[in-house]
Amino acid sequence: MSELIVFLIAFPVVVSGVLLVVTKGNIRNALVVGACVVVAAASLITVFTFGNGNALFFGLPGGVTPGHLVLVMDAAIAVFIVVVSLQNGRVVAPIMAAAQLGIALYLDLGGHLPDPDPSRLFWFDRLTMVMVLVIGIVGPLICIHALGYMRDYQRSNPMIRGRRTSFFFLLFLFLGAMFGLVVSNDLPMMSVFWEITTICSFLLIGYTRTEETIGYAFDALNMNLLGGLGFSVAMLLLSGQPDGMDLARLTAGPAGAALLPAIALLCLAGITKSAQMPFSSWLLGAMYAPSPTSALLHSSTMVKAGVFLLLRLSPAMAGSAVGMMVAFVGLLTFLFASMVAVTERNTKKVLAYSTIGSLGLIVGCAGIGTPELVWVGVMIVIFHAVAKALLFLVVGTLENRLYTKDMENFDTLLSRMPRVSALALTGIAGMFIAPFGIVVAKWTAIRAFLEVPGFEGATFLIIMAFGSSLTIFYWGKLLIKILSMRSIEPYERSVEDRVTRYEWFAEIVLAVGVVGIAAGLGWISDHVVGPYALAAFSATPRVFLNLSPAMIIVMLVAVLFLPALALWASRRSDYDLADFYTSGRTANAGHLMGAALGGTRTVTLRNYYLEGVIDGSLVFRSGTAVCGVILAGMVLVGLVVRA
Amino acid sequence: MNPLAYGLLFVVVAPIFGGLLAGVDRIVSARMQGRIGPPLLQPFYDVGKLFQKEARQVNPVVEPLLLGHVGFMAAAGALALGGTDLIFIAFVFALAALCLVLAAGSVNSPYSFAGAERELVVLLASEPFFILMLAAICKVTSASTFAGVLASPVMVALELPGVLLAFLFVATIKLRKSPFDISTSHHPHQELVNGLTSDMSGRLLAYVEMAHWYESALLCAFVVLFFNWSVPLGLLAFAIAYGLEVLVDNSTSRAKWQLVLRSTWAVTLLFTGGNVLALFLLGR
Repeated sequence: MSELIVFLIAFPVVVSGVLLVVTKGNIRNALVVGACVVVAAASLITVFTFGNGNALFFGLPGGVTPGHLVLVMDAAIAVFIVVVSLQNGRVVAPIMAAAQLGIALYLDLGGHLPDPDPSRLFWFDRLTMVMVLVIGIVGPLICIHALGYMRDYQRSNPMIRGRRTSFFFLLFLFLGAMFGLVVSNDLPMMSVFWEITTICSFLLIGYTRTEETIGYAFDALNMNLLGGLGFSVAMLLLSGQPDGMDLARLTAGPAGAALLPAIALLCLAGITKSAQMPFSSWLLGAMYAPSPTSALLHSSTMVKAGVFLLLRLSPAMAGSAVGMMVAFVGLLTFLFASMVAVTERNTKKVLAYSTIGSLGLIVGCAGIGTPELVWVGVMIVIFHAVAKALLFLVVGTLENRLYTKDMENFDTLLSRMPRVSALALTGIAGMFIAPFGIVVAKWTAIRAFLEVPGFEGATFLIIMAFGSSLTIFYWGKLLIKILSMRSIEPYERSVEDRVTRYEWFAEIVLAVGVVGIAAGLGWISDHVVGPYALAAFSATPRVFLNLSPAMIIVMLVAVLFLPALALWASRRSDYDLADFYTSGRTANAGHLMGAALGGTRTVTLRNYYLEGVIDGSLVFRSGTAVCGVILAGMVLVGLVVRA
Repeated sequence: MNPLAYGLLFVVVAPIFGGLLAGVDRIVSARMQGRIGPPLLQPFYDVGKLFQKEARQVNPVVEPLLLGHVGFMAAAGALALGGTDLIFIAFVFALAALCLVLAAGSVNSPYSFAGAERELVVLLASEPFFILMLAAICKVTSASTFAGVLASPVMVALELPGVLLAFLFVATIKLRKSPFDISTSHHPHQELVNGLTSDMSGRLLAYVEMAHWYESALLCAFVVLFFNWSVPLGLLAFAIAYGLEVLVDNSTSRAKWQLVLRSTWAVTLLFTGGNVLALFLLGR
């Protein structure tokens, strides 16, 4: 058993090392595809080997403990950060890295760290299962997609020096670290994997090494190091506690007053990593990296590590002031991020705000901490990973074919790239089309909010009502653009033929996954997410999802409606496209309209961005300020109480 | 009677109800304007004629989207009366409205597109209210279905006066009445021509009409939820509310979308949000 886990962590790391020395394109492609197959197979085998998913604890083969290896890794990470930062003239990151190393040295060499129980280094339960599948299946698909994407990316951005060897090295290292993170039960060990994901995302965001992206990379590094520092200080506070480093025992039930300050600091770490306000800007900066990076950071790694930790901590903070503050940070982030998304034209940024909002919902649910809401949180993790990965990959494909990320330039996409459109529509349906996926989760969340008494319950409801309506607006605009059709010249269709087979493969598998999850919603709830939520809270059995057959029919129709429509409509090449109404002027199906002084103009139409009603940057700054105050209050009050 | 039967009944009866309501609306409006007005059954004649006319299809996605519009609107009502969780209905209702937006938006005519964008704005304006309204009704009655609310001893309207007031305001949007009919227009010589429906003709336009009948019937069902202790009283209340809407329709001019969005959100936040907050604070 433990051999499987070790393989899952070590294999991607070994592959990444090999990829660092392979420079020939063909060999790299074969190696990446082979490694992806092995990772996916290994994660499936792991999940099936662990059987029913009841919590299991185990150690390394032969009862070995990592011992000082953790400290060595901490030191290596700190040295790397100090060197890279000073090379680029940054001083904030080295200070935080040094502080973290200082704490690690004090804990380890000072003998303050209790010896870890060699049989409880790893923790494997249903949440781990979900995370292993998300990392092990969505992650490799993104890597395969990157093979096609990066080739075209280098072609269309010749100014950027090709560093594809280091790019694929980082992707696989990231996967290995994520596997390590989600199976760790020992906090010092988890913190090492935590820091490795921070460094991987730092390097991936700075991939193009322009002035701009290096700035964004350091933003990401600083914010995540702040969270990492929170993690270290939390370990410092916990070092005196019995079982303080055992995550499962720490989160077995509501934390006492002595533990809450440390829980608050761990929550801070989770909130920075999941890009909640006031730390959302690092994920937006990450949008300037190549699309596979965005897809990876958004769906299966990085931000999911943050919400994973918060979901783990949920039983410990449930009902406490810390939990309530975390809930407010998450739900306010959901509201503010959705408002900003409405004003944004760059499709990747819209997707980024949508991610921040969805993660906000998960964080909010984890903070309130009832079995129902943890159920909602884990459900969103699943839906979001598959649907958002698909959307980012599709946008990456579009970006390489149409040379634009602007939503307005995606109009008449259904005519130009029908199959890619169908994939995009599947992803959007997975994200928000009522009543599949996240909408089912929202519905359950509203039901659960009704049970939260007092001011908090009412506020959560109001936030949810406004937040979900805003999501309809920005997805609706994107849908209008994609669905608009016109008659096109034959050469315009040929654009789609240049999409690589790597991209097709990854996107189609993910689209099938979206539909599969829609169909298997009830099973996933009954056998995986429901039992997890009950076990985490030792709660009495209950039904989480009460779907009548009529509702299941409506859901399946809703999720298949738009993609099926797109495929059907695009095949009707013989369709008699009629002229549209332009108040008496001539206008034809090719969108040419008679101009005022003779000649013709192409009709172009622009979406509403609610200028004058919602000021995006003002909303973003307000959200950052409000959530920043809540978080600062949470951490400071905790530390003062502790002192 | 089986709840499923109520659902099926809605699918059959709602269009008749909605069509008659539209007929009454036109007569009352005409009287207010000093005209006699068309016969009561005129909306049915109109839709019948639309089905006989040629439908100009600007592109192949419009018709399926409009069928989706009618289908999801009917499904929303049928699910509501058929015993489905009311909060779920809010999402199906929004999906139905979205289908109409997409149909109009995909046409690419400047007029249809403006109508689609404005319809999206009014959807954004009204959706928070409907989610909060249904959640509040479930909260006070501790029920989750239509039948459950009707069976509850709690008098919803007395517990939710603020929500009921806000309903009057927001229903103006859903009934496409002035000053909130920014996405469409029944009057010629206005800047939008016909907004959303500019490029829909023949049976395409008939689908839109029928969906609107379903929508009116669903709104009526929502009003009955407020007066859950007496269904006839609920129907009377809907009649009075509708009369007020017609009066407002005939005495106001169209507002700008900014005003619609701001005022609807303000009303939702103040009246509905305030009412919900009071409920939670009083521990109801």
